[in-house]
Amino acid sequence: MGQTWRYRGKRFAIALCALACALAILVPTTAFGLTTNKATARPNEDGGSSVIGGLPTRLTWEGTVGTGEKVTSVTLMLPEGGSFDGSTTKVTVLEGLSRAKLDGEVKVEGTSLIVAFSEPATEGLLLRLEVENMHFPPDGGDVAIKGSYVNQSGEQELEESKPIKTIANTPLQALLASLDANPVVEAWNSSPFLGMFFKPQLLVTAFATLIPGWLLCLAIVCIAYPFAIILGLIFALMKISRRRLIRAIAIVYVNVLRGTPLFLQIYIMFFGLPMMNINIDNNVLGVIVIAINASAYLAEIFRAGIESIPPGQYEAASSLGMSHMMTMVNIILPQTIRRVIPTVTSDFITSYKDTSLLSSVGVMELMMFAKNLTSVSGNMTPYVAAAIFYLIVTLPLIKGVTIIEKRMARSERGGGPRPKVKAKSADAAAGGQDEMGTEPSLIEALSAPFRPASTDIAGMGGVADVQ
Amino acid sequence: MFNKANALRGSGAEAHRVPPALDATEAALQAHERDKILTKHHFAPEEHPCVRIEHLMKTFDGETQVLTDVNLTVWPGEVVCVLGPSGSGKSTMLRCINLLETPTAGHILIEDHEITGHLPTKEVNKLRQNLGMVFQSFNLFPHLTAKGNVMIGQTKVLKKSKEEAEAEALKQLEAVGLLDRADFKPAQLSGGQQQRVAIARAVAMHPDILLFDEPTSALDPELVRGVLDVMRDLAENGGMTMIVVTHEMGFAREVADRVVFMEGGVVVEQGKPDDVFDRPQNERTAQFLGSIG
Repeated sequence: MGQTWRYRGKRFAIALCALACALAILVPTTAFGLTTNKATARPNEDGGSSVIGGLPTRLTWEGTVGTGEKVTSVTLMLPEGGSFDGSTTKVTVLEGLSRAKLDGEVKVEGTSLIVAFSEPATEGLLLRLEVENMHFPPDGGDVAIKGSYVNQSGEQELEESKPIKTIANTPLQALLASLDANPVVEAWNSSPFLGMFFKPQLLVTAFATLIPGWLLCLAIVCIAYPFAIILGLIFALMKISRRRLIRAIAIVYVNVLRGTPLFLQIYIMFFGLPMMNINIDNNVLGVIVIAINASAYLAEIFRAGIESIPPGQYEAASSLGMSHMMTMVNIILPQTIRRVIPTVTSDFITSYKDTSLLSSVGVMELMMFAKNLTSVSGNMTPYVAAAIFYLIVTLPLIKGVTIIEKRMARSERGGGPRPKVKAKSADAAAGGQDEMGTEPSLIEALSAPFRPASTDIAGMGGVADVQ
Repeated sequence: MFNKANALRGSGAEAHRVPPALDATEAALQAHERDKILTKHHFAPEEHPCVRIEHLMKTFDGETQVLTDVNLTVWPGEVVCVLGPSGSGKSTMLRCINLLETPTAGHILIEDHEITGHLPTKEVNKLRQNLGMVFQSFNLFPHLTAKGNVMIGQTKVLKKSKEEAEAEALKQLEAVGLLDRADFKPAQLSGGQQQRVAIARAVAMHPDILLFDEPTSALDPELVRGVLDVMRDLAENGGMTMIVVTHEMGFAREVADRVVFMEGGVVVEQGKPDDVFDRPQNERTAQFLGSIG
């Protein structure tokens, strides 16, 4: 049963095909006297290939005169909401590859462009109209060029052209247009250096275009970093382990990763894993590579931090009866974390910048977008824009590191804000309203250098011993 | 059960063979006899010493011999001040008592339990809870407030509740006169204040014995008194057993039940403060006290 149905279906399809062929042959017999070959607009997107509404472009329309026709005029109906400069329209009539001796006179009536020829255009001639300074409607959309022509037997409808895709004119495009029109910008761009590296139009375009890449960079490093910190801490603790084997594993891990370029690690992971038929999404793999690479550096930072804690701290903790584990968690690590915050932040900056290497393996991050935009526009400005995107993140962090370092140096000298002196009353002894600093949590240790300074303490005699 | 027949260790163990630790009762009897004229402290006839050091030897790196043969007993509630020139092994002896240093040979017995020999880590940690230690360089935890410093041992080691630990911390800070500095970080306190917090931290664990390792040596002279006052208060009103390594002769004379003079890794002379200070038997002691006093 099913078998026969399938056969019937096949036969039906063949019949349809035959019908379609017949129609295709029939259609040209009702050919127009003037065939529209094409209607196109020149891309006017800076560094792109789209046609944007509301911005000047050039519309090119071409048509061929049919057999036995004598076309005396052509009228193009241009889209409503658009505008154009009719007077500069270029009319070209071609006979084969050479120019025919035929002139066209251009007249504008509302949204119609009427071209009247000095003598009728005859069979086989190619008519080309180039409308300069054409503005498509700013809302964008598909625009088909319609119109009419006049031949020996009167006015005829013109075949509709294939639609021209236009995109809406956004505020960004409007800004670009105003920049284009600005004489200062023009003068600026005429300088080879400024025009090549700081072209305002491209800067604006690049800012808009690079954002997804920038966000991906941030996402990669922000997701990778917590993992890197955990891994780094594990390997730091392994490196100071009393067991030789554990120490050896950590040393190999850290040294191999620190001793080879990240670029190489990226290549190995991105090309090696697929060869083993392990296919991981590019962005996820990027996170993994960055996390592993950063963890090696963090392991060294943490190890140095742990070893910088004076032995007296271990002794004091031991003398309270704390186990090694307790000492690590409650005494050593909170102090270590505070000490390594500046170095870790610097390493974070490095990792953030290192995401740019992922562009070499096709991760669509900031560099990738900048590279694409540069290759389209032939201008260096997108790279400058990318630099700005990197700096937006790194400069505040660098500043932050400086502030934290200063604050830490000051607090180690015993400066900085002091808490209120408690009244020496009995109820103060029972009170527990001020919880600050009683529980040595990691979060608190991390946030301590960032706490706002209170001002009510200045000049209080915390240093003088009360006798 | 901690009495090991032979407590030998270290590479040069053969050369430093020491006799096994004495039986508790026998040792107590001997110590009674010896110490009754050496200390102002009064102890009952059936009492056992809480710290017993026999033939203690400590070598660093197998070469530098810091302790040659230290013998000392400390009674519950007794305040012992250990004097001596630098390098005489005072601090090392003190650090051996709570195993911050591992003795090379000899015996240390706390409450008649031998702590020398390979003690499991858990036992060591438990032992240390009973031995409060105050360091020359304070060793406060800089990331915690004064209160946090006093609380942390209670909450983490003694597993007290936060409220309980805080009440105890404030009580101890009040005792050392620093209640108003409870929320200060160590860096915001003077050396004297830091050391008092360190004492409060040690006392809050309610140890049986307090060890002081030159608690005032790192302090400016005008800050010393505050710390000594706190220690005197502990000795006189707290009834705490204290072993104090110090250079404060005045304090030793005034507060100590017994003064121990160490030199070259051995106890050269010990006795009641007045006896040692006024009538030193040993020539070296006399010389040392003369140069200091």
